[in-house]
Amino acid sequence: MVSKESCRNEIRAAIRQLSDRCLYSAAKWAGEQLVGIEQDPSNFTPANTRFQRGSSSIRRRFSTNESISTPLPSVGFFQAATPLPEEDEAIDGDFYLLAKSYFDCREYRRASHVLRDQVSKKSVFLRYYALYLAGEKRKEEEMIELEGPLGKSDAINRELVSLERDLSALRRTGAIDSFGLYLYGVVLKEKGNESLARASLVESVNSYPWNWSAWSELQSLCTSIEILNSLNLNNHWMKEFFLGNAYQELRMHTESLAKYEYLQGIFSFSNYIQAQTAKAQYSLREFDQVEIMFEELLRNDPYRVEDMDLYSNVLYAKEACAALSYLAHKVFLTDKYRPESCCIIGNYYSLKGQHEKAVMYFRRALKLNKKYLSAWTLMGHEYVEMKNTPAAIDAYRRAVDINPCDYRAWYGLGQAYEMMGMPFYALHYFRKSIFFLPNDSRLWIAMAKCYQTEQLYMLEEAIKCYKRAVNCTDTEGIALNQLAKLHQKLGRNEEAAFYFEKDLERMDAEGLEGPNMFEALVFLATHFKTHKKFEEAEVYCTRLLDYSGPEKEKAKSLLRGIRMAQTGFPSMDLEHFPI
Amino acid sequence: MAGLTRTAGAFAVTPHKISVCILLQIYAPSAQMSLPFPFSSVAQHNRLGLYLLSLTKSCDDIFEPKLEELINQLREVGEEMDAWLTDHLTNRFSALASPDDLLNFFNDMRGILGSLDSGVVQDDQIILDPNSNLGMFVRRCILAFNLLSFEGVCHLFSSIEDYCKEAHSSSAQFDASNNNLESLTQYDQMDMENYAMDKATEEIEFQKSASGIFPFHLHTPESLFKATEGLLHTRKETSRTGKKDTEATPVARASSSTLEDTLVDESLFLRTNMQIQGFLMEQADAIETHGSSSSFSSSSIESFLEQLQNLAPELHRVHFLRYLNKLHSDDYFAALDNLLRYFDYSAGTEGFDLVPPSTGCSMYGRYEIALLCLGMTHFRFGHPNLALEVLTEAVRVSQQLSNDTCLAYTLAAMSNLLSEMGIASTTCVLGSSYSPVTSTASSLSVQQRVYILLKESLRRADSLKLRRLVASNHLAMAKFELMHVQRPLLSFGPKASTRHKTCPVSVCKEIRLGAHLISDFSSESSTMTIDGSLSSAWLKDLQKPWGPPVISQESGSRKSSTFFQFCDHLVSIPGSVAQLIGASYLLRATSWELFGSASMARMNTLVYATLFGDSSSSSDAELAYLKLIQHLALYKGYKDAFAALKIAEEKFLTVSKSKILLLKLQILHERALHCGNLQLAQRICNELGGLASTAMGVDMELKVEASLREARTLLAAKQYSQAANVAHSLFCTCHKFNLLIEKASVLLLLAEIHKKSGNAVLGLPYALASISFCQSFNLDLLKASATLTLAELWLGLGSNHAKRALDLLHGAFPMILGHGGLELRARAYIFEANCYLSDPSFSVFTDSDTVLDSLRQASDELQALEYHELAAEASYLMAMVYDKLGQLDEREEAASLFKMHIIALENPQGVEQNMA
Repeated sequence: MVSKESCRNEIRAAIRQLSDRCLYSAAKWAGEQLVGIEQDPSNFTPANTRFQRGSSSIRRRFSTNESISTPLPSVGFFQAATPLPEEDEAIDGDFYLLAKSYFDCREYRRASHVLRDQVSKKSVFLRYYALYLAGEKRKEEEMIELEGPLGKSDAINRELVSLERDLSALRRTGAIDSFGLYLYGVVLKEKGNESLARASLVESVNSYPWNWSAWSELQSLCTSIEILNSLNLNNHWMKEFFLGNAYQELRMHTESLAKYEYLQGIFSFSNYIQAQTAKAQYSLREFDQVEIMFEELLRNDPYRVEDMDLYSNVLYAKEACAALSYLAHKVFLTDKYRPESCCIIGNYYSLKGQHEKAVMYFRRALKLNKKYLSAWTLMGHEYVEMKNTPAAIDAYRRAVDINPCDYRAWYGLGQAYEMMGMPFYALHYFRKSIFFLPNDSRLWIAMAKCYQTEQLYMLEEAIKCYKRAVNCTDTEGIALNQLAKLHQKLGRNEEAAFYFEKDLERMDAEGLEGPNMFEALVFLATHFKTHKKFEEAEVYCTRLLDYSGPEKEKAKSLLRGIRMAQTGFPSMDLEHFPI
Repeated sequence: MAGLTRTAGAFAVTPHKISVCILLQIYAPSAQMSLPFPFSSVAQHNRLGLYLLSLTKSCDDIFEPKLEELINQLREVGEEMDAWLTDHLTNRFSALASPDDLLNFFNDMRGILGSLDSGVVQDDQIILDPNSNLGMFVRRCILAFNLLSFEGVCHLFSSIEDYCKEAHSSSAQFDASNNNLESLTQYDQMDMENYAMDKATEEIEFQKSASGIFPFHLHTPESLFKATEGLLHTRKETSRTGKKDTEATPVARASSSTLEDTLVDESLFLRTNMQIQGFLMEQADAIETHGSSSSFSSSSIESFLEQLQNLAPELHRVHFLRYLNKLHSDDYFAALDNLLRYFDYSAGTEGFDLVPPSTGCSMYGRYEIALLCLGMTHFRFGHPNLALEVLTEAVRVSQQLSNDTCLAYTLAAMSNLLSEMGIASTTCVLGSSYSPVTSTASSLSVQQRVYILLKESLRRADSLKLRRLVASNHLAMAKFELMHVQRPLLSFGPKASTRHKTCPVSVCKEIRLGAHLISDFSSESSTMTIDGSLSSAWLKDLQKPWGPPVISQESGSRKSSTFFQFCDHLVSIPGSVAQLIGASYLLRATSWELFGSASMARMNTLVYATLFGDSSSSSDAELAYLKLIQHLALYKGYKDAFAALKIAEEKFLTVSKSKILLLKLQILHERALHCGNLQLAQRICNELGGLASTAMGVDMELKVEASLREARTLLAAKQYSQAANVAHSLFCTCHKFNLLIEKASVLLLLAEIHKKSGNAVLGLPYALASISFCQSFNLDLLKASATLTLAELWLGLGSNHAKRALDLLHGAFPMILGHGGLELRARAYIFEANCYLSDPSFSVFTDSDTVLDSLRQASDELQALEYHELAAEASYLMAMVYDKLGQLDEREEAASLFKMHIIALENPQGVEQNMA
C-alpha cells in the first residue's frame, strides 16, 4: 500500500539525494510533486495552506472531494515501495563539498578535477556528471564558433568517449549505482546506441525510481508503443507518471488522461499533472477546458514559463488578443530568453497580423532551441501567411524531420503545395498527416478539397474522403454539404437528397441558417416533387416560405406545381390523359 | 531557407595549406640569395616550384592530402634534400606550440611576398610576385587567417595538432614496415587513378551543363537520361555476347574506397560549398552508372551520406543522393521519402548555384522539377498511372511558371512513359486532368499522343538547345517510327495517305540525328572551365607523374605531359553523351533485328559492346549481352549460348530487374521444346509467368512472352484447342495494349496451331494476316517465316498444291537462308524436300540430289539445336529416299539416326541430366 505519507517521505529523501548529486531538475520536479500531495490536516502550517489554497473552485468541483474522502483506487497495484538506498557515507568528504560548490557555480571541470581521486559512489557520480556537463557546455560553445558556410554542426561532446569507457568499466565491475546508470544511459543515447541506453535507463529507474530525469530520457527513447510495452519496469507510482507522459507523446491521449486522473488521487495539487492534463486536453481540442486549467495554473504558479506556449496557442485559437498580450508581457518579464517566451510573443504578433515580427520571434526561439518543434511549425504557418511558400515548406520540413509524427507540419506541407497549384503532390503529405491522426475531420476535408481541385477533379476520391470526415464527426459541417453537392454534380440525386437531409438535420440541431440551408431546401423540394413524393416536397417548400428572397418565389412556384400535380388536372396534362 | 547559409568559394585555412605555406617559405625565403640554402641546383629549385604550383592549384579540391602523403610526395620531388625538407616541415609544425606562434608564422609569410608597387627587383632576389599563382595563394591564406576570430585560431591550432599526430602515428608504423606501406600507398594511388579517369570526364560534362549550355537543374538531365535510356530498349530483347569486361566492379570499388578516405578527411576539415557540391555530383553520377549492380554497395554510400549530413545539415543535396541510391537499390519508400525531403528543403534550387541566376523564378522554387523526378520515380517502380498523373501536374506547373526546359523534359518523360508502359488504349488516362498540351490529345489514341508529345518535346528542346534531350528525343522518335505505322492525324478526304507501312528510312534518319550529338560535343570542347571545379582533376593528374619514382630527370616535359592529359580530359566526351550514342547503336541493332538482318544487328551490338561498354550503364550493357547471347542461341546452338550465358550471369545477375534470368528461362524453354521435354517446358512457363508483375500495364513484354510460350508448350503437347485459346486471349491483350509487332507473331502462332491440328483452311487467313502485318512493319524475317508457314498450309491442303507451296518457299528462301536462325533454315529445307516428294511430277530417281542435299543441310543444322522432332523427320525422309534409290547402306544409316532421335525425343529426361 502506498499512502500519501509514504510517498511524501520517499520524495523528501529523494530530493535530498538528487540535490546531493546535483541532479537539480529531477530534484525540482520531485519537489513540485511533493507539495502537490494533499497535506495532512494534522501538520498544517499557514504557509502550506496559503500555497495550496490557490487551487480553484474548478479543481474542487471536479476532483477534490472524492479524492480526499476515498482511499486511493487500486493502490494495491503499487508494490511495496522500493527501499530508499542508504547513503554510503555518513559524512560527506571535504573534497566532495568543495566540488559541489564548484559545481553549483557552474565550474564543472574544476569540480570534476577536485573529485579525481575520490572513491565514494556519490563523488564518482558527481565527477562523471560534472565532466559530462563540461563537455556539453563546450559543445554548445563550439557549435556557435564553428558555424561555417555550411552550418557545420559536428560539434560533439568530447568527453563522451572517455565517459563511456569509464562507465562501462564501472558497470562491468558492478561498481555503478543507479545514478551512474542514468548517466551511462544518457551517454549511450548521445552516442546513438539506443537499445543499450534503454536497458541502462530501465535498470536505473528500477533500482531508483525517483529520478525523473532518467524517466524522461527513457521516454524520449520510446518512439513506439511496441518499445514502450517491451520495457520491463517495476511497478512504482513513478511508473504511472512515466506512462502518462509516454502515452501522451505517442498520441494516446485518453490513456494518458486516465493515468493523470488516477495520479491526481495522490498528487491533487500538482501543477505538473495539471499542465500535462491540459496538454492532453489540448490535443483533444477541448480549448475551453484547457483555458480554464491554464488560468488556474497561472494563478497557482504565476512565474511559470513551461508549457505556457501551449496556453498561448489556445489563446491564439480563441483569438483572445488581450489575454495573449498579457501573457506575453508576463513571460517576457519573467524570462525573455526562454524559447517558450519567444514563441508566445511570436504567436501574439501572428494574431495581430504582423507576420514578419512573428517570424523574427520564432527564429529567436529556434536559436535558443533548434529542436523546438512547435516553433518550426508555427513559423511555417507564418510563411504561408506571407505567401513565401518555399520558406514555409522548409520550416515545415524541419519540424517533420525532428518529429516525423507531427501531423500539423505534414498538413502544412500539403497545404503549401496545394497553394502552389500542385494538388497531386500535396496529396502525399495529406496522406501522411492523416496517417498520424486518422480521426480528424479537418484533415480529411483538406484532402477531399485537394481531390476536388479543378486540376485533379477526382470526385469519387473526394467523396470517399468526405465520408471519412463525416464519420469523424465533422464539427464545421462542411463534409455533409459537400457530399450532397458532389453527388448532385454526379447526378446521383438519391444520394444527394440523403446527404442534404442529413445536413439539414445537423443545421436544425445547431440552429444554423444560411445559403446552405436554402440550397438544401430547394434541392430537396424539387427532388421530391420530381419523384412524386408531394408531401415531403410540400414540407420543404413551406419551410422555404419562411424566408424572404428569391427562394421564396421559387418555393411558391414549386408549391403551385405540386398542387396542380396533386389535383391531377393540370391544364397541360389533359391531352395526355388516357380517356 | 535553402541558400541562406551559402557562401560559395570560401577559403579556409587548413593545416595542409599551412604545410604548403611552409614549403613556400623554403622555396622563396625572404633572404637575398640567388639559390636558397638547401637547393643544390636551379633545376631542383624549379622542380619544387612546379610541385608547389600544382599543390596550390589543387588546394580547392575536396581531398586534401594528409601530412604523411605530403611527405611521401616530397620524398620523390626532393631527391637528396628530401630528408631536410621533411625535417624542416615537421620541425616547423612542432615549433607551433601556441596560437601565438601561428600568428607570428603568418606575419612572417608576409615577408616572402614582394610589394605590389615596387617594380625594382634585384636580379638575385627571389621574391614571390603577389599576383602570381603562388603569391595569390599566400595572400589568400594570410587574408583567411586574418579573418579568423580567436576561437577560429584555436580550432585551427587543435586541428594542426591532429594533423601532426596522425602523421606521427603512421610514421612510426612506416619505419616498422616500410615496404608494406609503400606498396599499400601505391595501391591506393592506382585506385585513385582509376577513379580519376572515370570521374574526370563526368566532371567536365557537369561543367558543361553548369556553364550555361544547360540552364537546367543540374542533376535532372542526368537522372532523366539514365532513366529514359535504361528504358529505351527494354522492349525488344535480343542479345549476344562480347567478351569485353567492363570495369564496373573495380571502378565502383575504387570510388567507394575513396569515399572512405574522404570520410576520414571530411571529419577533419569541411571543404567549401562548391567543392562538396562538385564531389556530390560525381557521386551521383557514380551511383547512376553503377548503382544497380550490387558490387557498388549502397549501404556504404548510405552510411557515408549519413555522416556527411551530420557534418553539414544544410547540404540538402545529400538527400538527393540518398534518393538516387535508394532508387537504385529498389527501396521505394525510402526513395520517395528522400526525394520529397530534398525538394522540400532545397525548393529544387540547390545544385543550381553555378548557373547564373538569369533563368530566374527562384522566388517560387522549382517544384516542377520535383514533380518531374517524382514522376520518373513512379515510372521506375512501375506505377504508370500515378506517374502519369504526376507528370501531367508537372506539365501544368512548368507551363504556369513558364519553365520551358522542364516542360521539354517532362513531355519527353511522358511520351516515354506512354510508349513503355502498356497503357490500355481503352482507358482514358489523360481525360481527367486538364492540361493544354495533353487535352488536345485526349481524343487521340495512345500512339498518337506519344507522337504529339515527342514532337512537342523535340521542338522545345531544339529551341532551347538542350542537346542531349534532342538526341534522346530523336532516338525515341526512331523507336516510335520503328514500332508504329504512321497515319496522318486527320485522315479523311481523297488526299489522305494510304501508305500503311512503317518507314525504315525515317527510322534511320532519326537514329542518325540522335547520333549527331557527338559532333556537337566534340566541336565545342574548348569552352570554358570553371576554376575550382577542375581542381580535383589537377590533384589526380598530379598523382600520376609522382606515382612511379622513375621520373627523376626531365621535370619540364613531365609538366607538359600533365598538361596534355589535362587537355585530354577536356576533349573527351562526357559520359552521358557517350551513353546516348551507345544507345543509338543498341537501337540500330534492335531495328535491324526487327527488319530481319541478323548480321547487321549483331554487328551493331558488337560495336556497342566494344566502344560503349565502359561508359554504359549496367542495364544497357546487360541488354547488349542479352542480344549477343540470343544471337548465339539462334545461330550457333545452345551449347555456345549457355557458355556465354554463364559469363553474363556472373556479371549481371546482381543488377536489379535483371533480364538475364528471363533470357535463361527463354533459352531453356526453347531447348526443352526441341528436346520434347514438355514437363520442363511447362515448369519454365510457370516460372516465366511468375516473373511478371500482376499489375496491369506493367511488364507487358514479360506477360506477352509468358503466354506466348505457354501457347507454344500447349501446341507441342498437341492440346490444340487450349493452345488456340491462349493465343486468342494473347492476341486480344496485344490489341488492347497496342503491341502491334507482337500481334504479328501471335497471328503466326495461331496459323501454326491450325496447321499442326490439321486444319489448314482455318490456318490460311491467320498466316495471311500475319504476312500483311509483317509487310506494314517491314518485318522481313518474320514475314519469311510466315510465308514458310503459309506454304506449309498450302501443302497441307493436298499434294496438288505442292507447286504453289514450292513457289512461295522459293520466294522466301533468300531471306531465310541469309538471315534465318538454325531452326528456320532446317524447317525450310525439310519442307522443300517434302514439297518435292509430294509433287507427283517429281521423280526421285532423276533428281534425288536436290532432295538429299536439303535434307543433309537440315540435319546438320538440327544437330546443334538438338531439335529431335525435326531431325527425326529429316532422317526419315532421307531413309525413304535412299530406300527408293535402293542405297541400302545409306538407308540403314539414316534409319538408325531416325531411331536415335526418336528415342531421345521419347526419353527427354536422359538429356536433362547434363543440362542441370
